[in-house]
Amino acid sequence: MGRDLKLENLTKRYGNLTAVDHVNLEIREGEFICFLGPSGCGKTTILRMITGFETVTDGRVIFNDRIINDLIPKKREFGIVFQSYALFPNMTVEENIAFGLKMRKMPKKVIAERVNKMLDLIGLSDWRKLYPAQLSGGQQQRVALVRALAPDPQVLLLDEPLSALDAKIRLRLRAEIKRLQQELKKTMIHVTHDQEEALSIADRVVVMEKGQFRQVGRPIDIYKNPNCNFVADFVGTSNFSEGRRTADVVDIGRRKIKVTRNGNVKDEAVSLAIRPENVEVFNGNEAPQIPEPMNLVPGRIEVVVFQGAAVRLLIHLDGEEIISDIIEKEFEQRTLKQGDQVYVYCSPESYLVFPEGEGTK
Amino acid sequence: MNPVEPYGKRFSSWFTADNLFTGVIMAFLLVILSVFLLYPVVDICRLSFIKNGALSLQNYLDYFSEPKIFRSFYNSMFVSTVTMVITTVLAFLFAYGLTRTTMPGKGFFYTVSTLPLIAPTIIQALALILLFGRNGVITRYLLDTSWNIYGATGIIVGEILYCFPNALFILYTTLSAVDTRLDEAAQSLGASALKTFFKVTLPSAKYGIASAAALTFNLTITDFGIPVVIGGDYSVLATEIVNKVFGMQRFDLGATISVILLVPSITAFAINYYLTRKSYAMISGQARPFIQPSRPLKKWAFTAYSSLICACILLVFITVFLGSFVRTWPYDFSLTFKHFDFPSLGASVPFWTAFWNSVLEPGAFRDMIAIKYAPIWTSLMVSLVVAVVGASITLVAAYIIEKKKPRGEQLLYALSVLPAAIPGVVLGLGYVLAFNKPYFLIYGTVWIIIINVVIANFTLGLLSGTANLKQIDKSVEEAAVSLGAGPVTTFTKVVFPLSKVAFFSTATFFFMRGMTTISAVLFLVSAQIKLAAIEIIFLDVDGRTASANAMCTVVVLIVALFLVIMRLTTGKSALSGMSASN
Repeated sequence: MGRDLKLENLTKRYGNLTAVDHVNLEIREGEFICFLGPSGCGKTTILRMITGFETVTDGRVIFNDRIINDLIPKKREFGIVFQSYALFPNMTVEENIAFGLKMRKMPKKVIAERVNKMLDLIGLSDWRKLYPAQLSGGQQQRVALVRALAPDPQVLLLDEPLSALDAKIRLRLRAEIKRLQQELKKTMIHVTHDQEEALSIADRVVVMEKGQFRQVGRPIDIYKNPNCNFVADFVGTSNFSEGRRTADVVDIGRRKIKVTRNGNVKDEAVSLAIRPENVEVFNGNEAPQIPEPMNLVPGRIEVVVFQGAAVRLLIHLDGEEIISDIIEKEFEQRTLKQGDQVYVYCSPESYLVFPEGEGTK
Repeated sequence: MNPVEPYGKRFSSWFTADNLFTGVIMAFLLVILSVFLLYPVVDICRLSFIKNGALSLQNYLDYFSEPKIFRSFYNSMFVSTVTMVITTVLAFLFAYGLTRTTMPGKGFFYTVSTLPLIAPTIIQALALILLFGRNGVITRYLLDTSWNIYGATGIIVGEILYCFPNALFILYTTLSAVDTRLDEAAQSLGASALKTFFKVTLPSAKYGIASAAALTFNLTITDFGIPVVIGGDYSVLATEIVNKVFGMQRFDLGATISVILLVPSITAFAINYYLTRKSYAMISGQARPFIQPSRPLKKWAFTAYSSLICACILLVFITVFLGSFVRTWPYDFSLTFKHFDFPSLGASVPFWTAFWNSVLEPGAFRDMIAIKYAPIWTSLMVSLVVAVVGASITLVAAYIIEKKKPRGEQLLYALSVLPAAIPGVVLGLGYVLAFNKPYFLIYGTVWIIIINVVIANFTLGLLSGTANLKQIDKSVEEAAVSLGAGPVTTFTKVVFPLSKVAFFSTATFFFMRGMTTISAVLFLVSAQIKLAAIEIIFLDVDGRTASANAMCTVVVLIVALFLVIMRLTTGKSALSGMSASN
């Protein structure tokens, strides 16, 4: 189908080390895909194989129904945005943006128009005569972004483009990239280790670990329904416990927990995960009214961390610790403080249950 | 639908513009280095193992069984070892003063200490003779003693003055790279200043120290200019080679001694090279806090010491300058320009002679400039070509090695650093043996000299190019490629502009070497083609010491002028961070 990009059993080995291990993915034209994973998981290697700067050990990269494994980078006409901006320091903003257009031997007039359009796109028209060293990091990366977009590439690849920037600018530029993607309807492939960035920007997120894809899906699905321990842990924060499950009850040793996903399993090793925002905390003066008393346990607030809109509590249960995020207003209403005796409640449906050994924590 | 495979042919996957570009340059460099570096050296080795047309070790047996000749080997080892020890100690203390104390005038001291790089190595010997020679102003005039400096003492003192900046450069880099916070940590833990120096500072600089020592040894044992002028009867390997070849036309003995000289010289180079890499591995990239104010005693002791060293270096230059202007050293100190009217050195430089003839009025002055100054114009021309060619070719080689990493990269790298290990005299003799053949058309022209100087100084050009290219972010090149630039465009539009400063600094280095080099081109000059630096030796050997001084002064002034021009055009001092290695 059209200008889709397909990875088929794509593999990269360096000697004995397998950096990318038989991955498969179809990226549709106009889609915004984000590769997310810890450093060394192979996400950048995949990106570099797509750009052609890295050779493919095994498998195929297919674009527009043609195998492009051996096509030199120049011929692929993919735009790239680098973490280090990689602007040409000896050229002005304008010259940087025009570079790719000149390489394609476009007429001068067309180049001038295109450069203007690109500068408008990022609101940097006044800066056209400046050199990269005279710009801030955020401005440089915006220039790098439109420099890559100027020749109208088939696909735009972004290699951790925001990692070198500070927090505030990162947020702004993230929004700007998203806006440009929607405006230009360009296929974009973005690599990052920042889960928040991936979830907020992409149409689909690919969570990677050890050269393999752990989960591919919409951001909301990745967050709400992680399919393994690794994803639950890497994307967002989770409380984990291990135990054995019989029907809808998991025995974690010290106590039993009711979960919803039952099925006909009997005595199976599982691990449980629950997001901190699903851990409810009540004042310890009297037991609250809750639908599933088995999941209500007493505890003590050990640490209180103020996080702005939310408050994170580290609660000591008998022999375990659990993290709970509650909104600041509720925290005040319930008059909670460090050292308080509390009740902790986790509803059965908020627990995620993974069979043991699926993905590594 | 099955995807088609339009690029599946193996051919297309390696036959790309990029590989073509790399391949062509690689092949070019390998051919150049094989023909102009390997072949002459191999030819020397071959000749040394042949006696009466048969393979034999006879040449070596002759050498080692003749005590008078064997002496040169012992002498070389002796002066090199002594020079090595003294230079390393002196340079270390100087570097310590520059990096670890708060003495005033550091910039001045550093600049003065690099001065020896801009003069032919012979300048130290000329100055020492004027001061301490048979008619030395100090020995004869002030002390009225019959003692003079000719021989081992002269060679050692001269070599110390010459090697000083080279050793200093390594030690300065080492000491400025070692984190001073280690010293502070040691002192905060209760170590005394002296203990800190011996337990922390010295050990952390040990590789740099050893590397500076090895370099000094290599420079001394391969040098020709100083021993030939001040050595007197004290023969060393380098002068012995020239003696055998020029004096006795014994190319076989010259070749044998060359191979013998290669052994310590390559060993010292290999040690230096290995240790330099080790020492750079220890460098911490962290920013260092400022140095604590030194105690007054320490501060003034180092200031006095550094002033003394700089005074010695300046004295060399001042003496030779004066020596070229006074009528009869040391008896008649009235000033004159007559020594600059060189005794009939004429040689043909068609371009320059025609040029001066057209701009100057006919007369004695025009003859002097147009004819007698011919060696200077030849040197200038050779040096300018060497600067452009040398800087370009080493930058391209560094680019291929550092950024393209093609197959055979290590071979190219090995060949590229080899010149620093080959003594100039040996390479020069190799050129005579290998290329003095009728079908080798450029032999006997300036081109063979240009090639020789470029090859002899290839290593430093390459190393400075590599160091510079390492600083260019790989992504910048990839950005150019992804935007559609081919390998040539990427190099000319992106890589070269980013390497400009390094390029000019390397070009300056090559220019200086072209103007001042003696040993490598000694065998390649002729009655038609003369070089200024070589003429200094010939003038001195002819007993025209004052004119030798004058010629030396002219060379130094030309190099200094070039440095000033480069400084004004690039805004950077080309001397900082530079050291000769051959």
